[in-house]
Amino acid sequence: MKPGGQADLRRSQELFWELITAPEGVRAAIDDLARRGVADGPSLNALFAGDEGLPAVERLDIYANMYFYRLLDCLAEDFPKTLAAVGPARFHNLVTDYLLRHPSEHPSLRYLGQRLPQFMTTHPLLGEFPHLADLARLEWARADVFDAPDARPLSRDALARLPQDRAGDAKFTFIPAFALLRFDHEVVGLWRRLDDRAGGHGDTAAAGGAAIHGGGSGNAAREAPGPDDSPSGGDPGPPSLPAPARRRTAARVWRRDFIVYHSSLDEEESRCLELAQSGESIGRICQQLAAGRSLAKATARAGRMIQSWLEDGILAEVALSEAPR
Amino acid sequence: MNPDAVQSRDRSDGRPSFLGHGVGLRRDHFERVLSGPTDVDWFEALSENFMVEGGRPLDVLTRVRERYPVVLHGVSLSIGSTDPLDEAYLDRLDALARRFQPAWVSDHLCWTGVGGRNAHDLLPLPYTEAALEHVVGRVQRVQERLGRPIALENVSSYVAYRHSTLPEWEFLAEVARRSGCGILLDINNIYVSARNHGFDPRAYLAGIPPHKVWQFHLAGHSNKGAYLLDTHDHPVIDPVWDLYREAVLRFGPVSTLIEWDDRIPAFERLEQESQRARAIHHETLQRPAGPAAMTAAPAGRPSDLGTQP
Repeated sequence: MKPGGQADLRRSQELFWELITAPEGVRAAIDDLARRGVADGPSLNALFAGDEGLPAVERLDIYANMYFYRLLDCLAEDFPKTLAAVGPARFHNLVTDYLLRHPSEHPSLRYLGQRLPQFMTTHPLLGEFPHLADLARLEWARADVFDAPDARPLSRDALARLPQDRAGDAKFTFIPAFALLRFDHEVVGLWRRLDDRAGGHGDTAAAGGAAIHGGGSGNAAREAPGPDDSPSGGDPGPPSLPAPARRRTAARVWRRDFIVYHSSLDEEESRCLELAQSGESIGRICQQLAAGRSLAKATARAGRMIQSWLEDGILAEVALSEAPR
Repeated sequence: MNPDAVQSRDRSDGRPSFLGHGVGLRRDHFERVLSGPTDVDWFEALSENFMVEGGRPLDVLTRVRERYPVVLHGVSLSIGSTDPLDEAYLDRLDALARRFQPAWVSDHLCWTGVGGRNAHDLLPLPYTEAALEHVVGRVQRVQERLGRPIALENVSSYVAYRHSTLPEWEFLAEVARRSGCGILLDINNIYVSARNHGFDPRAYLAGIPPHKVWQFHLAGHSNKGAYLLDTHDHPVIDPVWDLYREAVLRFGPVSTLIEWDDRIPAFERLEQESQRARAIHHETLQRPAGPAAMTAAPAGRPSDLGTQP
């Protein structure tokens, strides 16, 4: 390799990347590069400087550890309940697999975990923890809502200003910091049990704000844990909590006053929220509620539901589909 | 907006204003910083943490900016990468700078990824003429895109390239000279890299042109025996304070910032570190310790700052 040229800078960066991102460590990566005929030990020694006190391989290992553990820390921060549900060793292995398939492609760590819930749906860990992808989706929704665009919530007065005779034609829009989720498992309860176990507030709907992604990390170096706290040694494993029931459930996630909340929903409310999100009118929502109920009861139920949406601040606007002529 | 209005240039040598002694803005301290007066003069915000659409971080930074000068410090510009510059990232950085009107914008002299992937780490460059040309061209493009000069920071490093032909300080000085960028001189990083690579940290200071230094960083590190690791989770150690004293002597009044990013202590501990830096600064320059006497970049609503000369 003739050092110094632009092409060599590219090649050295590609090699550096391969060496520090190999899950088995730098030595294994060098062996692999040699097997593939890409580079061998002597050529790498000619590229990277080391000394007796700290050979080049060990110097590169410092970067390899920083690469993995910084990203592991970030995902642990974004998916704390997922980590708690499976234990550190399984989470470590999950992240190893995830980063091989989905290395970070964004300048911000904020988006590192974006594909993790979907990745879990095909990961072997799902055999042991069938609810894990649902739990991760709930956590990612909380992270997404945390820094979604700001919007002023709809006021009660704005709703009251609707002409009474046309209120049924009005349609809602939701604040950007709102998400409606459907699950195959009862993971909201699991989230609360894990939160209780970690000494959380115990109030699922009022649990505190999500993390600022990479908020504290700055450019501080990361290192591998010591022998006492390595993921394979002394791992407590998954907690002895009952697995969540497999059944269709739903939840809404939202932000109010910079705090992220979530709560489980019954099927009726989740269907009404879906209708409202898809642009259906208040009248159509009332029709949904009218099935099996008197008109008065359906109206009362709709009133309570909309009242809770107003109180939680998830509605942004209400508008009539056509301006009155 | 005229970018010169953003960056007050009241020094005869073209350096931006001396902001005094600041600390990094970290979420652990949001409530404390907003709850009342502090002993620090300014804050440094990590650019990427605020490249979001809404929520608490942006609200906090808005309120901090109303009270203090702020510098935007990035970790993902990847100025040394052989990938194309990330235009979307530059758009977000530009929008952030226009919104918050920082005293200046900084990042690191390093690369952070290749092939469209990001290591989120500050990876070292070979110090060669080819790398120098590469970096200088990219710094110039970034500065044109942002409409302002930027400052680049020396990183802590653990491995070097055998084909490097320049010492790191010459490479950094030459990047600044050719591109017109400023230097964010991290005193702790000099100390860490000097130990890891066996060079004299004082030779590093001597190789940096004083009129190019806009800012100092100070931080703690971990001694791993065979090497030092830049962990930002300890107080600044005495030898680094000594090096800081020499830097102040050589470079004069330079805005100084304490970084503490892991195992973050109470804000008061950071204030103590900042006060120590302030005392060394004043003692070295033989001025009485006290509030920053030369602070020229005002706090205030960002929208007010566009009218500055």
